[in-house]
Amino acid sequence: MTTAEAPVQTVEEPVRPTPPPAARKLRRRPDRIRSSIAAWTAVAVIGLFGMLPMYWMLVTALSPKGQAFQFPPKFIPTEITFEHFRTFAENEQLFDYMVNSVIVALITAALSVIVSTYMGYSFSKFRYRGRKSLMNFVLASQMFPQALLLITLYAVFRQFGLLGTYTALVLSFTTFTMPLCVWMLKGIFDTVPDALLEAAAIDGASRWRTLHTIVAPLAAPGMIAAGLFAFVRGWNDFIFALTLANKDTMTLPPGLVNTYIGEFQTSWPALMAASLIVSVPVVAAFMFLQRYLVGGLTAGAVKS
Amino acid sequence: MTTAPPIAKSPDATGGPSRGTRGRRMSNGMFAFLLTVPGLALFGAIVLYPLIASLVTGFFEQDLRFPGRSWVGFDNYADVFAGDFAAILEHTLVFTVGATAAPFLIGLALALALNTGMKGSGFFRGLFLFPWVIPGVVVSFLWMWIFNANYGVLNGALIKTGLIEESISWLGEPGTAMLAVIITKTWASFPWMMVMLLAGLQTVPRELHEAAAVDGAGAVRRFFAVTWPGIRGVAAIALLLEFIWNFQHFDTIYVLTGGGPAGATETFAVAVYQDAFKGFDLGHATALGGLWMLLLLVLVGVYLKLSERETK
Repeated sequence: MTTAEAPVQTVEEPVRPTPPPAARKLRRRPDRIRSSIAAWTAVAVIGLFGMLPMYWMLVTALSPKGQAFQFPPKFIPTEITFEHFRTFAENEQLFDYMVNSVIVALITAALSVIVSTYMGYSFSKFRYRGRKSLMNFVLASQMFPQALLLITLYAVFRQFGLLGTYTALVLSFTTFTMPLCVWMLKGIFDTVPDALLEAAAIDGASRWRTLHTIVAPLAAPGMIAAGLFAFVRGWNDFIFALTLANKDTMTLPPGLVNTYIGEFQTSWPALMAASLIVSVPVVAAFMFLQRYLVGGLTAGAVKS
Repeated sequence: MTTAPPIAKSPDATGGPSRGTRGRRMSNGMFAFLLTVPGLALFGAIVLYPLIASLVTGFFEQDLRFPGRSWVGFDNYADVFAGDFAAILEHTLVFTVGATAAPFLIGLALALALNTGMKGSGFFRGLFLFPWVIPGVVVSFLWMWIFNANYGVLNGALIKTGLIEESISWLGEPGTAMLAVIITKTWASFPWMMVMLLAGLQTVPRELHEAAAVDGAGAVRRFFAVTWPGIRGVAAIALLLEFIWNFQHFDTIYVLTGGGPAGATETFAVAVYQDAFKGFDLGHATALGGLWMLLLLVLVGVYLKLSERETK
């Protein structure tokens, strides 16, 4: 970003003024030690709950089949293999699911960003009758019961011959990603100074042009973040893909359920390896998104 | 708490541009409305129309596999009330309360701990996010394996430590299946609670704590007198949102138990889905869904009111 007033959405912690030295001295030491012990205990206990399952996923994925089906299980593996990852890579059906996931999530991301940019801009920079109700509706729409909507959606897509197409998946994913994206982008447009828009208007730029060539580039980092969130949502979705996709367009989440669950004897090491593989893009996206995280999570949760 | 500081606080940012050009161009209101059209079209097609049409279907007898339907009035609703409604409502409430309260308490403890300024708190915050970030089906697979009756690591650990003597079929027994489902959802949700509450805690001025400590208030007293009033708003919104999400949660339950064993974990989301797509009985499914929707609407209304008050 070269512009000085680039509206990078910052979610920095508020600056915490250091307490005056007197107050600090007065704070009793035992109290501080006690709270430190309590804090570490909480982190350790919850850490076990949070991390042991992850550890077990990794151990199982690396275990030879024989070792995974031992009871009681070996908590520390004695033998490690990558065969389950190879099996996944060699499975053509799973590869197709993955390709579908990538295609659908990418198109969802692009479409979400485009549609949400316009909507977020409208909500941020204009005041008109019905704006508040619209915003409330958008916010509330992500809370409507999807299983109920699906009953009619299924019939509608069937009627238009769209059942089992990428289109059906992308349209559904995008709609339920939009509230979050709209709120993120609205927050970013709020940081674009009005003076900039007024200056552009005085220079004779049309409102479309102002949005496309002046505001959008400034909001680019936020648009990328919103796109990544949309990608993750599309990648993770289960219920829509389970219902609206067919064998050829199915994405990984329902694909894995169909492949592994309900078998007579689920191959757990293979499923854990597949789970790790499905998680990689999402985890990578979130590492990249750390900076936007708090803003993204609370977007739509708290109206600004 | 807001997502971004609202620097531009104008009644209408583009009031300027339109001035003097009126007549030549469309009004600002029209322009603003046009911007929302693509999004509104999607919402109309994917949310609003299906919602209304589904509610209408509740008054018909209809099979997913065949065309045609017949009007039956309130028969479906009568069937629902006479049948499984009470049980499904109970399961949904138990799941929702459990899977909201547990992540909240865990997330709060974690947020308080990380907010003490301990070493590595940024690292831990990132690490703890993993369970929330990974796809919902992966969470389900993982816990399905942990709870596995024959080879599961939970049974293994409990037997090894002598807490139980024989393996428990966690997902296969009505008595434990709901607990297992709640634990699974809790594991996936507590990181979000942690992030929300941590953001709330960071708005509580540290001097207030110092002052309270100087005045001799203990840790518990300080929490209720200083911390809690400071984060109450965020906590209320986080709790309500999590409650709403759990009230319509589908993925974990569907994959882990499919509503079983013997319907012990059958919530609205799972029951409506199974009725429609496994039982093909659209009338019954949408009648049940209509009641579900009604309950959700109340919650959403409360949420909109609450979040409005919070931002004032």
